[in-house]
Amino acid sequence: MSTPADIRHPWPVRLWHWLNAFAMGVLLLTGLLLFDIHPRLYWGDDGHVGMPAFFSIAAADRNAPVLQTELQIGSHRWDVSGTIGLAVDDGFGARDFLAVPAPEDWDFGATRGWHFLFAWLLVIGGLLYAGYLLGSGRLTRLWWPTRGELGWRSVVHELWAHLRLRGARGDAARRYNLLQKLSYLAVLFVLIPVIVLSGLTLSNSVTAAFPDLYTLFGGRQSARSVHFLAAMLLVLFVLVHVFQVFVAGFRRLMRSMLTGRYAPPPELPQ
Amino acid sequence: MSLLVSRRSLLGGLAATVPVLGGCGRIDHAAPASQLLDLADGFTRHMQRLILSGRPLVRELKPAEISAFFPVTGTSMPPSDDFRRLLDGEFRDWRLRVGGLVERPLALSLAELQAMPARTQVTLHQCDEGWSAVAQWTGVPLATLLQKSGLQRNARYVVFHCLDAVPLDGSNYYESLDLLDAMHPQTILAYAMNGKSLPVGNGAPLRLRVELQIGYKNAKFIDRIEVVDSLRPIGRGRGGWWEDYDHAVWYAGL
Repeated sequence: MSTPADIRHPWPVRLWHWLNAFAMGVLLLTGLLLFDIHPRLYWGDDGHVGMPAFFSIAAADRNAPVLQTELQIGSHRWDVSGTIGLAVDDGFGARDFLAVPAPEDWDFGATRGWHFLFAWLLVIGGLLYAGYLLGSGRLTRLWWPTRGELGWRSVVHELWAHLRLRGARGDAARRYNLLQKLSYLAVLFVLIPVIVLSGLTLSNSVTAAFPDLYTLFGGRQSARSVHFLAAMLLVLFVLVHVFQVFVAGFRRLMRSMLTGRYAPPPELPQ
Repeated sequence: MSLLVSRRSLLGGLAATVPVLGGCGRIDHAAPASQLLDLADGFTRHMQRLILSGRPLVRELKPAEISAFFPVTGTSMPPSDDFRRLLDGEFRDWRLRVGGLVERPLALSLAELQAMPARTQVTLHQCDEGWSAVAQWTGVPLATLLQKSGLQRNARYVVFHCLDAVPLDGSNYYESLDLLDAMHPQTILAYAMNGKSLPVGNGAPLRLRVELQIGYKNAKFIDRIEVVDSLRPIGRGRGGWWEDYDHAVWYAGL
């Protein structure tokens, strides 16, 4: 028996989804370019060449005849020459590795400019969207886990279904499942705010007006590290999100995010 | 200040295949993309000025937090013979000239600057490239100097002309502030760093510390201060060397 299509995603949801996806794409690319100019992460306020970093991708010895790129995490070091690319100096190695296209007249100032422009899109869009979710009741109706869903039997069932890549069918597929709800809540209300606040902590003006941001993140370099690490978590979310779209039916879900109309996969015959 | 100079020179020497130097300095600021960036930068500047309307001071750190090492970036040693002569004479022949739209043009020696009321602050220097380091700076508040020179009625911006010619295009480094940031209590002209004379690499004999803004605004090797009503006639008209050359934002509060 086929199930009828209904409007799953009203237009504000679709508009925000695609604008936000585009903004996040630009932010990721420009962010990687910005990271790459000083590809080292530190903790605290102080962080520069000549002091230990807890993470770096850089030339092991800048004066060596053949440059060797080293990935360093804590006290572990790996030679990643060839796989991560050629590190000429701090930076540039990751630029090759990430295959971020370097335009003819790539300039650092404009990279920062684009990053901040799309950060505004992310922030303003995110605030409007969060307001819409609250105001329309969608947050409590669609995103909030029900008491029943949080029981251990339901949680185990949901995990097992995900591990076997068994998506919901029929009317059950019209609702977000528990893991979906939790990850959406975590991304919109924890991860993105952490990324935005840690990014703002890198600003002289913002920290002059709100010095407590330094306390929140444990220093300027800590905020920078949190900013990049949280961005990587967001990338992880996007990868899983896109993977799930393919698992659960690319055409159906893409149609619903483009037109709003969604017809769930029919129930399997018993 | 920025590491870009050293990195790009190095890159130019090592890997001619990476066309980084290709289009530099020929930014078309009238291109639609450039204008969109300018629009966004303007919005960002207004938002910063909004949150700074209470005129806060930036955080000052304790002397114990001073970085053991402070990177030298941009020009480490101005290449001119004139600078060499000034350095050899321990800057006795150097004068800070203050001119433009002022009531009383000034020419001050280092000793005269050092005799003026000073401010000492331990602050976090933040480079647009991402690194940061803590140092203690001692110098004359720019506001004190501008009160001494007086300002003409149409004064709006303060331009810092520097002694270092930047290798990328051969023109001298310069930067500028509007009067709001110029008058900020933590905006100083520093002649000492960490309790000692300002080292050459960090901008001897005199450098700007503008704590509300990031690295490249903090001009080193200052030669002359010019008060103007518009930034358009200076350099390529965008208020600073990186602003002209590399699309760097003029109000660099982030």
